[in-house]
Amino acid sequence: MRSGVAEQQRVSQAGPAIEVRGLTRSFGPLVALYPLDLDVPSGSTLAVLGPNGAGKSTLLRLIAGLARPSAGTIRLGATQHEGAPDDRLARRRRIGLIGHATFLYPALTARENLILAGRLWSVDDPEARAATLLDEQDLLAAADRPIGGFSRGMAQRVAIARALVHDPAILLLDEPFTGLDPTAADRLTVQLKAARDGGRTSLLVTHDLSRAAALADRTLILKHGVARPIAPEALSSRDNLDAAYREAIASPAPS
Amino acid sequence: MSILWTLLWKDLLTEWRSRDRLVAMLVFALLVVVVLYFAAPPGQAGTAREHVPGLLWVAYIFAIVLGLSRSFGMELENEALSGLALAPVDRGLIFLGKAGANLVLVLIMQAVAAVAFALAFDVNLGPVALPLAGVAFLGAVGLCSLGTLFSAMAVRTTNREMILPLLMLPLMVPVLLGAVQATRGLIAEGELPFSALQLLLVTDGVFLIVSFLGFEYVLDE
Repeated sequence: MRSGVAEQQRVSQAGPAIEVRGLTRSFGPLVALYPLDLDVPSGSTLAVLGPNGAGKSTLLRLIAGLARPSAGTIRLGATQHEGAPDDRLARRRRIGLIGHATFLYPALTARENLILAGRLWSVDDPEARAATLLDEQDLLAAADRPIGGFSRGMAQRVAIARALVHDPAILLLDEPFTGLDPTAADRLTVQLKAARDGGRTSLLVTHDLSRAAALADRTLILKHGVARPIAPEALSSRDNLDAAYREAIASPAPS
Repeated sequence: MSILWTLLWKDLLTEWRSRDRLVAMLVFALLVVVVLYFAAPPGQAGTAREHVPGLLWVAYIFAIVLGLSRSFGMELENEALSGLALAPVDRGLIFLGKAGANLVLVLIMQAVAAVAFALAFDVNLGPVALPLAGVAFLGAVGLCSLGTLFSAMAVRTTNREMILPLLMLPLMVPVLLGAVQATRGLIAEGELPFSALQLLLVTDGVFLIVSFLGFEYVLDE
């Protein structure tokens, strides 16, 4: 069941990989995300930037289906957030999420965590897939040690492998470079570029403007839950993106 | 079915490595036996024996509440519960996996506590061991199904160890009534009262269905 990207490419013929309309999320009186419209074309990478508390992680959790929107719709290919049960399962099958937390069980080893994920996502031969991913993350030597004894960076590498276990068509990445050493961060950058070139759609939340400039095709800036798109030219270099980011953050909220 | 086994495997392997819930439940249940043993007035062992069915289920219910309050604890670390919620599996299966693992631990605790009660209060459970195991199983199914649902509801609250018994205990009364009546019938008369069995079966069915269906919404934020 590792046909995620191919499936996504088929779906993309009918529309964008991620289509968000009027998406809003409130926590009581606090509005975390004001009505947002967003299209992420298939095979592209959208960088979501913004200061802390801007609503970036909320947006990712909404798209992943871990939170319910207060209003609005999210379509991932042909599936919708509030769809039928089969639709919801298909939607979850399409997504790989690397979040703030690693989603790993500390008492289980790295290999066991990946096999568990592989079985939950009905991957063919989860043991072989786990071994491949551990090798890709240079973790074979530590594969049979419990995650509880891992450093933050090592656990993050296992979390990356976990998100990729079912070869998802859409990758949602929330600060994926957190805790990674330069070698691992560079490896992840290469993997994300390869994924993009292979047709995978990514939504990358980051504070690292250099990585955003290197990986993204488009950028969205969020401030206080309000979207501030910036011109694609800003992605031509880190300095241009930095200047555009500062300008967008400094500007008053659009009415 | 393989998903269910996977989820059971995950929970039981994690528990095997930490043993924190099973040990806590066993220690608590055995402590209750010891306290009740010393609380029985000297020379009135017969009177104490009459109360064994009730006392046994008192030990069970509080040990179960203790164990269930921690059953989602391991899912909190690293937000593993969110990782589980992302999986493309029916959330009812996640519930069944979790409740099944809880049931296995509870059955072990029940067996050990029953032996301890029999020894402490000089009650011969041998002739009714099999039907008594059946009653304990039915009681455990009811308690674990609703308890697992409430444990999932309480896990994201700040006072979850206090909230779980508040939510769970009032609704557990029908299961406890059926279980205590059935246990008393078995120990005192050697017969299983049909009305108690009926009550246990009906409450188990209702609690299982409600929890299976409700878990979908509980797992959402």
